[in-house]
Amino acid sequence: MIDPVMLRITAGSLAAACEEMGEVLIRAAHSANIKERRDCSTGVFDPIGQMTMQAEHIPVHLGAMPASVAAVVEFEHAPGDAWILNDPFSGGTHLPDITIVTPIFSADGIHLGFASCRAHHADVGGREPGSMPADSRTLEEEGVVIPATPFARGGELDRELFESLINQMRHPQQRAADLRAQLAACRRGETRVREFAARHGVSVYREATAAVLDYAERLARNGIAELPAGEFVAEEVLEADAFGAPHDIFLKLRATVSADKIVLDFSGSDPQHSGNLNCPLAVTESACFFAIRALVAPDAPACAGAWRPVTVIAPSGSILNANAPAAVAGGNVETSSRVADLVMRAFGRAQGQGTMNNLTLGNHDFTHYETFGGGQAGQPDAPGPSAVHVAMSNTLNTPVEALEIEFPLRVREYSIRRGSGGAGANPGGDGLIRDVEVLADMRYSLIAERRRHAPHGAAGGDDGKPGTDTIDGTPIPGKSVGELKAGSRLRIATPGGGGFGSR
Amino acid sequence: MAPRTTLAVDVGGTFTDAVLSSAGGVFTGKTPTTPDDQSVGVLTAAREALAAGGIDPSDVDEFVHGMTVTTNALLEGRFAKTALLTTEGFTDLEELGRQNRADLYRLGAARPAPIVPPELRFGVPERCGPDGVITPLDLASTRAAIGTAVDRGAESIAVCLLFAFRHPEHELAIRTLASQVDPSIHVSLSHEAVGTFREYERCATTIADAALSPLLAGYLGQLAERAAAAGLPRPQVMLSNGGTVPAETAGRNASWTVLSGPAGGAVGAARSAERRGESKALAFDMGGTSTDICLVRDGAVTVSAAREIGGRPIALPAVDVSTVGAGGGSVAWRDGGGALRVGPRSAGARPGPACYGHGGEEATVTDANLLLGYLSEDSALAGGLRLDRDAAERALTRVGKPLGMDALATAAGVVEIANLEMLRATTAATVARGVDPRDHALVAFGGAGPMHAVAIAEALEITRVICPAACGVLSAWGISVAGRRRDRSRSLVQPLDQLDRMQLAELEGELADAAAAELGVTAYETEAIYELRYAGQAFELPVSGPHDRLRAAFHAAHEERFGFSEPEATVELVTVRVSVSTPAGTSRAPGDEARTNARTGTRTAWFGGSSYEAAVVPSAPPGDGCLEGPAMIEQPQATIVVPPGWSAMSAGADVVLVKKAAT
Repeated sequence: MIDPVMLRITAGSLAAACEEMGEVLIRAAHSANIKERRDCSTGVFDPIGQMTMQAEHIPVHLGAMPASVAAVVEFEHAPGDAWILNDPFSGGTHLPDITIVTPIFSADGIHLGFASCRAHHADVGGREPGSMPADSRTLEEEGVVIPATPFARGGELDRELFESLINQMRHPQQRAADLRAQLAACRRGETRVREFAARHGVSVYREATAAVLDYAERLARNGIAELPAGEFVAEEVLEADAFGAPHDIFLKLRATVSADKIVLDFSGSDPQHSGNLNCPLAVTESACFFAIRALVAPDAPACAGAWRPVTVIAPSGSILNANAPAAVAGGNVETSSRVADLVMRAFGRAQGQGTMNNLTLGNHDFTHYETFGGGQAGQPDAPGPSAVHVAMSNTLNTPVEALEIEFPLRVREYSIRRGSGGAGANPGGDGLIRDVEVLADMRYSLIAERRRHAPHGAAGGDDGKPGTDTIDGTPIPGKSVGELKAGSRLRIATPGGGGFGSR
Repeated sequence: MAPRTTLAVDVGGTFTDAVLSSAGGVFTGKTPTTPDDQSVGVLTAAREALAAGGIDPSDVDEFVHGMTVTTNALLEGRFAKTALLTTEGFTDLEELGRQNRADLYRLGAARPAPIVPPELRFGVPERCGPDGVITPLDLASTRAAIGTAVDRGAESIAVCLLFAFRHPEHELAIRTLASQVDPSIHVSLSHEAVGTFREYERCATTIADAALSPLLAGYLGQLAERAAAAGLPRPQVMLSNGGTVPAETAGRNASWTVLSGPAGGAVGAARSAERRGESKALAFDMGGTSTDICLVRDGAVTVSAAREIGGRPIALPAVDVSTVGAGGGSVAWRDGGGALRVGPRSAGARPGPACYGHGGEEATVTDANLLLGYLSEDSALAGGLRLDRDAAERALTRVGKPLGMDALATAAGVVEIANLEMLRATTAATVARGVDPRDHALVAFGGAGPMHAVAIAEALEITRVICPAACGVLSAWGISVAGRRRDRSRSLVQPLDQLDRMQLAELEGELADAAAAELGVTAYETEAIYELRYAGQAFELPVSGPHDRLRAAFHAAHEERFGFSEPEATVELVTVRVSVSTPAGTSRAPGDEARTNARTGTRTAWFGGSSYEAAVVPSAPPGDGCLEGPAMIEQPQATIVVPPGWSAMSAGADVVLVKKAAT
């Protein structure tokens, strides 16, 4: 019997183990994506692959970590083993996210579970530096695809595999450092779980982790029970404009709340497309879990128990459950945002900017990738904050002074886009304006959404303003690639959030 | 040189403490804090200590002061009406922040509102880039902007221009203009107040500096007047970096004082560890609402280059304290999933824990400690109040019953969960920084520190816990021995191999001269810290040493902290920080001279689910002997809990040492 004290001690200790794994990873990693943007996650699992706890660095990994462990759970495991993978159609999300999974064993050889660590690498050998091409049509263009593969056996790294993987990617030494950091993080997680089981005994450990899952489930059910029962439908669109003419992709949701359970059914959404806005199911699930947490249960521990009351249905071959070899680079950053919007909308909430405004600038001397915040949705209890990342991301900006020292760029304006948030009792937050003069010839690549379709207001609140993008005053599509001449100015104005409630 | 007489006064949330160190001994004073005007309590505590020592105010050589005036103002949002002058196109810098939201899942959670309202933000036509002036400063429109700001009621002006850390001339010109428009207005320039790159952090810190300085200058002016009237010297003020400066300097740069309070305690803990010969230690300060943890090296606190306070960045050197919302007053509750939780909400001083009998009905960590026998009913903790054991039991029963636990089991759970929260903060302060805590000593202070310290040490596999007798006035003592210190920083952001060493030496000289002038000293020590990174990285590592050894030192530091280095990569010097200081004081800590060796008896205490008859001893373990746990040592300001398997001994008049028994 696990008492309420042991329950809290177990939940706290597992969370502390995951946080410590994250600290090991972040301080040892080299990719700016990991160190500065914290695009990474760590978690621990039970022997059948149920996630018992996850440290939260970024919401887009919420549902996607369990898929990685599920991809290896059926294999034979021995102490000191490690698995590596990034295949979006078998445990991954998009290729730059590489996951390492290690089994955890007690000192006397009892299988206690798994430790897992995912990180967004700066490059995985795709067609473009950064491995996030705006106009990819197949997965292969986006980089090296790694199915679940043994990475270490009995504590010995597979050197041949290691060398061969990193040498297919740009900056192999940086990749090596990041992968070692991930492995070190998993090892730390193993140690902490092993210590916990040794201190309390293996049977108490098992009982206690099961109790934590039940505990999270109770919290989540309590939250869901506060939603009105019944069926709720919503529709949304993605702007698939990368290849010329504007083209909309439709997403549909039928949400069914019965007592303390919820089913999110995306049947009727468009089929996967020839661009890269496709999502593996794990990414769709992550976005759903994010939205449910934000709606009703921000305090439930991030573990398998919290998702038990949530069922996600997305037909195979649709844009929200795409099959190989679909390109997926944009699905993780943009489609995931729209899925969260869709769930919010079904429950009568207003929507935030719904995009990460991904901009890559570069020539043969440099590559710079950045995302921009925008307006958050007006909430039932508060106005939406301005100029922030609203949903699946929460990364920092690049300081103007850092940018100008490093790259041939000059920022002419960086300001709040006043009046872009939708009016309402609780208005939506404003977007921002970033006006950049390029000081050398270079290429640009923009992946942005909410350029033709505004973020919706709710309960009588107004819509936010869609984003706009111009080069020297001439509008450009939200998804575009092209040349910039020295002296040109690229101006990005990000969307405002929808308002909530009548003024 | 004759021993100096130093009077140190520290203002805490509840009490104002004074420590007077003189040739004749060490004397203390304690009085309730006077929140409306902290200087009233300061003088009361000072007079009490002077009277205890029979010392005339005119014999005091140094009067040093730690306070929370700026911290409180920052947290409560009490600011001077402040205008911002910045590069045209960037007036929203403070509001924009770094684009990350305040909470991942509470989508309406807002960062603190900008200090400067939109109508007081002015973009001035000018622009500097990395290599110098691109657009000259337009003097006429700048003067007009200042005039408008003053007309709109601005009491203070913050100036933050892009690349001013490299090219300060436009900021300097704006100060000249401002003094022509309104000679009395306060002006904070970003390259002086902060000096480092990254425009958001520099701008936000400069704004905080401008918004707080008029307030602090007013307070310190008043304190100086009261001090003069009482015959005391002009005060020195504790900065966030663990050193003191003259009050005039502090009043011009209020942002340097936002951690003045915690800095005193950390310095006191550091010096306590040093006196015990411990070069590695963790300062563990547990109070009523929160616990502060700080890493200590060779008698000095660790200082970080920047931190956040109340959600606002302060990009200035400050003691590297990790804080967790768990303290004696933290409230126990049960959540919707049926788990027992503790904090972060605190019962505060009023109503306080249920056992205080001030009408508090909620169970707190203090109530749990009372029920477990760690705390005595006639403890001095509540200011001479007798604690109400029945009230504590009732409160704990109320929380525990729906969870199926009796009051005693609930109490044990509350303490265990509170300890877990503190452990997580300690792990963050050590493991997160690549530090193995096991070879450290723990220095326990604050009202609840010595009660929980051994349990924390046990969990961290730490074997030595230092409990200074001055536990309750350790912050004030820390201030009295802190020494003066002023840091000046300047960002360069240049590859190390392109650096002109002559120029660098010249810059260091300039920074040191400026810092020394602010300290008002002529004899001082100078240390330069270089913040370096590999080109392309986003964070820096601090390194010190001669210029020609920096590269090697950085590779080594990177290897130690991150587990690898890149000997081929370009190393950049991002920031030079020059620290000017005078030697720290040497006065000993207040001890407990009037010790009795008698046991006062025993009482029942619970450890690990079993009850023990634990020895109860006043002040300190007897003589040279060892006091085996379980035992309670009841000091005037705190109770040291010695669990089974640990033993305590006196180490001089001023310290009790608790050690894990060899196994």
